[in-house]
Amino acid sequence: MAISSARESLSLALNNRFLPNLEYLLQGSILDTAVEHLMHRLKGLCDNVDTSPERFHDLEVCMSLRQPTSPQPLLLRVRRALGQDAPFQMRYLGQPEVDMRRPTLVRSCMDCACTNGILDFLTEMGFRLEFEYIAKGYMFRKGRMKITVSKLIKIVPGKQQDMANEPISQSYIVELSVVAPTGQENVGEEMRVFAEQLKPLVQLEKIDYKRLGNLP
Amino acid sequence: MGVTVLQPYPLPEGKSGAHIIDHLGKRLLSLGATHAGQFLVDCETFISTPQHGTPTRAVHVLHDSEFPASTFSIIDNGTGKQVALVADAIFDLLMLKMTSTFTSKKQTKIESRGARFEYGDFVIKLGSVTMMEHFKGILIEIEYRPCITLSYCWEMIREMLQGFLGINVAKEYPTYFTTQTIMNAMGQQQLHAKQNDLYEPMDTVKQYLEHFTNYRKHVQLHGGLGSSGLSVNGPVLMPSTVVGVGMGRS
Repeated sequence: MAISSARESLSLALNNRFLPNLEYLLQGSILDTAVEHLMHRLKGLCDNVDTSPERFHDLEVCMSLRQPTSPQPLLLRVRRALGQDAPFQMRYLGQPEVDMRRPTLVRSCMDCACTNGILDFLTEMGFRLEFEYIAKGYMFRKGRMKITVSKLIKIVPGKQQDMANEPISQSYIVELSVVAPTGQENVGEEMRVFAEQLKPLVQLEKIDYKRLGNLP
Repeated sequence: MGVTVLQPYPLPEGKSGAHIIDHLGKRLLSLGATHAGQFLVDCETFISTPQHGTPTRAVHVLHDSEFPASTFSIIDNGTGKQVALVADAIFDLLMLKMTSTFTSKKQTKIESRGARFEYGDFVIKLGSVTMMEHFKGILIEIEYRPCITLSYCWEMIREMLQGFLGINVAKEYPTYFTTQTIMNAMGQQQLHAKQNDLYEPMDTVKQYLEHFTNYRKHVQLHGGLGSSGLSVNGPVLMPSTVVGVGMGRS
């Protein structure tokens, strides 16, 4: 039997819809002073109750490549875990679709684990640094849903120490997301029901980035 | 995962590639090796669209069926700097997002595929190299699995190679391991012998790229893809480590 090439297996995964390539997303925020209440609520609702929520502390670097045929540059986000040795995660996110009939925002999404040469590799390809920040917080799981509560931290150029960097705001960003293959429309409904259970602590919404267009 | 050495096999005049592969396969089986599936290593190269003032960059994307979840890429920035990357197989889809900046040179898509054998601690792959369906040559991959440093097991690999190929393999380490350059602390290129380094899957892939590049150059030198390349024992392909061809006994 002939062996199939990597390209063939990839198109097979795409055509048979078992390659997760769509992200369903709801976002909200909560003030620092109230985050403890949300953490308690999540501990009660989510799967990983016995092991306290998983902590993360990541540096995200967004790189952009100008493309001659499109006015929009191609953006790739590279995440690196600070303080532990893990593969770098590269992520491509497509243009978000905010469809009134859908309960969540939907965007195409590709996650790719890589070795640590990725930033150097992208730089050689012609990518340039767009922005970077540190995200620090907690991750919960409920079935296939992922809930993160994270503090976004601004990076002061020239100072790598965490202490020197300041939080962007006095609140945490809360994200509820699922990455699923194309055609699983029930995901959105599942997420809407879960988001209901977090009210009134946090109001998870589909945020239309185009409306925020001019913000820095 | 162990140490892998890639050895081109010179084609004697008047013999077809399929004939040699068949012959070598039979030899391995009679030695006591067992047939253990198929393998495939492929390579596609993407070239950056020329922009004013920047050298042309090439991204080589390779897959190895021994590591089915990974995509290996090596970028050559045109000024001698190379960066290697191992990523999930989905990296291929990301490359397709950049087709306006990096276009695939379809006519140079090249692969080595064939049978995979296991013989004790060794894995041997008999690959026939094809580019655009044209046969280009034979690449033999031999892996010694219990060890990850070439200098400790090169003699054993060499003996095994000589044993079943029936050719003389030079005592020196294969050129891939002796001619690598690394960037030193001052940012200068410096020669670095790799035979004492820990072996990584990327080293296998880089050896394939080196040989694939030679096969591609051969095509350019000999004018286009028209030649079927059945007599590929030109000067470019003849590796310095292979001395005589002794196919007489079997």
